[in-house]
Amino acid sequence: MVSVRSTLVALALALTAASGCTELPASGVARGQVLYTNCEQCHGKSGEGSTLVQAPPIAGLPAWYIEAQFLHFQTGLRGAHPDDVEGLKMRPMSRTVKDPADVKVVAEYVASLPAVKTEATMGGDATKGQAAFATCAACHGADGQGNPDLKAPKIAGQADWYVVRQLTKFKGGVRAYDPADTAGATMKGIAGTIPDEAAMRDLAAYIHTL
Amino acid sequence: MLEHYMKQGSSYASHIDGLVWMIFLMVGFWFLFAEGMFFWLLWRYRKKPGEKAAYFDEHAEHKIKYNWVEIPHRLILVCDVALIVGAISVWTEVKISMPQTDETVRITAQQWAWTFQHAGPDGELDTMDDITTVDELHVQLGKTYKFELASKDVIHSFSVPLFRLKQDAIPGRVITGWFKPTLAGEFDVQCTEICGIGHGIMPAKLHVDTPEEYAAWLANPSHYLAYHY
Repeated sequence: MVSVRSTLVALALALTAASGCTELPASGVARGQVLYTNCEQCHGKSGEGSTLVQAPPIAGLPAWYIEAQFLHFQTGLRGAHPDDVEGLKMRPMSRTVKDPADVKVVAEYVASLPAVKTEATMGGDATKGQAAFATCAACHGADGQGNPDLKAPKIAGQADWYVVRQLTKFKGGVRAYDPADTAGATMKGIAGTIPDEAAMRDLAAYIHTL
Repeated sequence: MLEHYMKQGSSYASHIDGLVWMIFLMVGFWFLFAEGMFFWLLWRYRKKPGEKAAYFDEHAEHKIKYNWVEIPHRLILVCDVALIVGAISVWTEVKISMPQTDETVRITAQQWAWTFQHAGPDGELDTMDDITTVDELHVQLGKTYKFELASKDVIHSFSVPLFRLKQDAIPGRVITGWFKPTLAGEFDVQCTEICGIGHGIMPAKLHVDTPEEYAAWLANPSHYLAYHY
């Protein structure tokens, strides 16, 4: 005779299966893909980002950079400044991924996504921006593809609104506020040399065209 | 009894618990009385061999109706008045009145973090020595605090179970209130208004410090150098 307990367990399993819950693979990019569903709410299913919630496009960014920034959010090196509205959203979300191995597979999955081209929204002058980009090219490369040895991420094609926002944060100390963020400290110094937001828009317009 | 499950840590926590307890007792008494009477009447006037079940109707004697309907009705009204008086009294104390306060703390909610602006050593907000923290509120035991609560984006709710304090934060408004901590220790703050996918991971820590602990916290130079969380 089937016990009440067995019946309840079978019922619970059937309801779980019917709910659409996805089985989590043990490892690899497939696991990262399932874990990424938590990120989709803001960054989009294809990693295309959302201006509505100020979540940047992340598809195709290098895995090492995604992983490093994820850990920065977790440890408070990034996104813990009271004025970093978007960072304070990402900070608690990053802490929902407890296992560093899971951070790695999510990063690998995001890196595997094809980069998404966004619409320009800031109205900057790419020609003016190209001239100013020489400073950036020293670390990020002339083509903006980045240099992992210098901890400089790929920025080619990045959304212009996001570039302006991050440059503003670097310049104002809202990002790279902690000396332990050494790569951020470099960027903070460089951002400080950009005279105003108009120059940032021009720079972002050029980076967007790469 | 409620304190057994959640400690009382503010000057008005026991008053709120008392009100909850009074509501529980009065509602509980009338619930048990009404249900008991209902089932007793069903049993007492049930159908018996050679006898139909009896029930009251419009032809019942006035005195019977008066006893079973009017008297409990009026007693419940008396209870209602007692509850209303108690509720208004506590509401006025907690939400309407503003006692003389020692310090002001500014609380800003956003998806999904709490920012606390403390007055710093000079006791005044909006001065150079203010200490701003994320998800960490420090207050001093026995001091009366005014708070200014705001939201940067959507509706949140600032809930401190220890204080029995819960206040919505509304975008575009600065809502004031007060509390006086009476129990030292580390306690929970939680958003209690669904505010997006990260609502469930929007906690903060409340540190009710002794004067010595608070002085040591104020003196920590890291407040003035960088943000460490």
